[in-house]
Amino acid sequence: MYDVIVRGGLVVDGSGTPGYRGDVAVLDGKIAAVGKITGDARRFVEAEGRVVAPGFIDPHTHFDVQLLWDGAAKPALEHGITCVVPGNCSLSLAPLRAADRQQVIGMFQQIEEMPPAAFTEAFDWTWEDFAGYRAAIEKSLSINVAPLVGHSVIRLWVMGPDAQQRAATADEIVAMQVMLRECLDAGAVGLSTSFVDVDENGRPVPSRFAQFEELDALSAVLGEYGRMLQIVPEFYAIDITIARIDQLAELSLKHCIPTTFSPVFDSTATPDNVARTMARVEEQFARGARVWPQMQTRPIDISFSLLRPSLFFARLPRWVRILRQPLEQRIAALRDPETVEKMVADTGPDGGERMMGRLVIRGGDSAPNALAGRTLSEIAKDRGEVPALALINLSLEHGLDVALLSANAGHEVTDRIGPMLAHPLVHIGASDGGAHLASFSTYGDTGYLFSEFVRKSGAMSLEQAVRKITAETADIWGLKDRGRLEAGKAADIVIFNADTIGRGEEYPTFDMPGDGMRYVRAATGIDTVLVNGQIAYAGGAYSDARAGVVCV
Amino acid sequence: MTAEAIIVGAQIVAGHDGSAELLINLRHPNGAEGPVQLDEATGLKLMKTCGATHVDELTGQSWRRIVEGL
Repeated sequence: MYDVIVRGGLVVDGSGTPGYRGDVAVLDGKIAAVGKITGDARRFVEAEGRVVAPGFIDPHTHFDVQLLWDGAAKPALEHGITCVVPGNCSLSLAPLRAADRQQVIGMFQQIEEMPPAAFTEAFDWTWEDFAGYRAAIEKSLSINVAPLVGHSVIRLWVMGPDAQQRAATADEIVAMQVMLRECLDAGAVGLSTSFVDVDENGRPVPSRFAQFEELDALSAVLGEYGRMLQIVPEFYAIDITIARIDQLAELSLKHCIPTTFSPVFDSTATPDNVARTMARVEEQFARGARVWPQMQTRPIDISFSLLRPSLFFARLPRWVRILRQPLEQRIAALRDPETVEKMVADTGPDGGERMMGRLVIRGGDSAPNALAGRTLSEIAKDRGEVPALALINLSLEHGLDVALLSANAGHEVTDRIGPMLAHPLVHIGASDGGAHLASFSTYGDTGYLFSEFVRKSGAMSLEQAVRKITAETADIWGLKDRGRLEAGKAADIVIFNADTIGRGEEYPTFDMPGDGMRYVRAATGIDTVLVNGQIAYAGGAYSDARAGVVCV
Repeated sequence: MTAEAIIVGAQIVAGHDGSAELLINLRHPNGAEGPVQLDEATGLKLMKTCGATHVDELTGQSWRRIVEGL
């Protein structure tokens, strides 16, 4: 008697081989059999006409805080994600002394844009060490977690305030090695570091003060465990990124570790960047190094409001001058009819239709909900105004707190991105799930992979796409029990409709502690998600199952 | 040939974190050119430091003006 049999679906098992009609049997949280199954089960899940695949793995998230009150990392799980990797970009919530919490909260708020209440109301700080953090999240997980430990917090633990001031001494480096070993023993799947991130005061995070000797010593510890080194390179300059690829390759070869870096994204303004990155990655893989570039599937949107200066207007000198002013003077200028007339004229004879008409009102701000999702062009027509004037007047009516979105402004050319994602050395990831909460949704990238690059462009087959975000990810990260529909593997399973799976529409919601706002996307095309053999999501609803584990 | 890198072009691009960013093209003393992408805060500071109200006005400025804005 099995616990569950998923019957009659198109089994796409993560290996990349062609899907076939079959069943998947589950017993005691593991996959018991795959194929034509005749046995009985306590529960049957009908999958006729749907794809049955291994649960998706998201290798770059910042769910560290959210997991303390939301063990499903919503809405990641409903998008078919059954395993998340938090602790990226040098930041994790352990090891962390009580006295250092406020400092790390500031760093997290900078990256995640999480409201202060998330750190003061939503959970009790019961831990300092990594094992304690693991115990805290394990109480109610319905998604699996493969956590990284952050270099910045290890540094802070060992060096205190000096972590954000100077290079480490030899003794301090040894102490960091000891701490990293302790974290890896407690379930960390690797170390993350950053050469880019800043805290809430704009100061470099502690990991950026490390010399190469320190990273080398920590990588030696990773080598003892064969674990991952994740970095954020100086992605704003391609030449420095390439130098970091070389540095990662040396660490990978010397210590026999996998490494990964992100973000990697395409821009028509720098059309050679990805090609140059991949050329170097290919060279280093040919030498035997493992340097995995992580690329996101979703396009980059630009968001802004008139509340703060934005470079979006950097081709409109009058707008720049006015929006650069302090708030009170800015509002006064925007209320002056003569000034506004000139501003509108600057946007062209069409009143900004070409320049601004496609901007979308985002919602989640002071603008009426009814306007969310509508274009400025539509709203302007309703108001009997041209778009530039509608933008100014609408913003004035709501204290300038009207968020606008310029969609698909980068990493947006499907015909370019598809082949990049399909490249055998490109690691699909970099979702940043759980971060950038108030800026854009970091959920649904896996759905977008299928809707845009399998269905629409055909850049990869269904089986290739599934493999990319399941077995391949598990192999890269050394998650031995995950990523495949194979007897003996963990029963992480997603059942979805290949014709409708997508990322869903973005919308604002106020479900963060303290009624904090974030942008999310509700899944489309996902029927059922099993985590370690239990149904965690089905028919559009989350279950009470808490079968998630910290997986290694 | 100047003795230091100068800005030879600038344009607005999408940044990884969803803001408008400034892509600067620098020409180095040896003639080589290469792009550097500045985050929104740094880009805005650069424009202010240079007294620029249009990205095209950044052309010809020294790379040191970028550092002044950091």
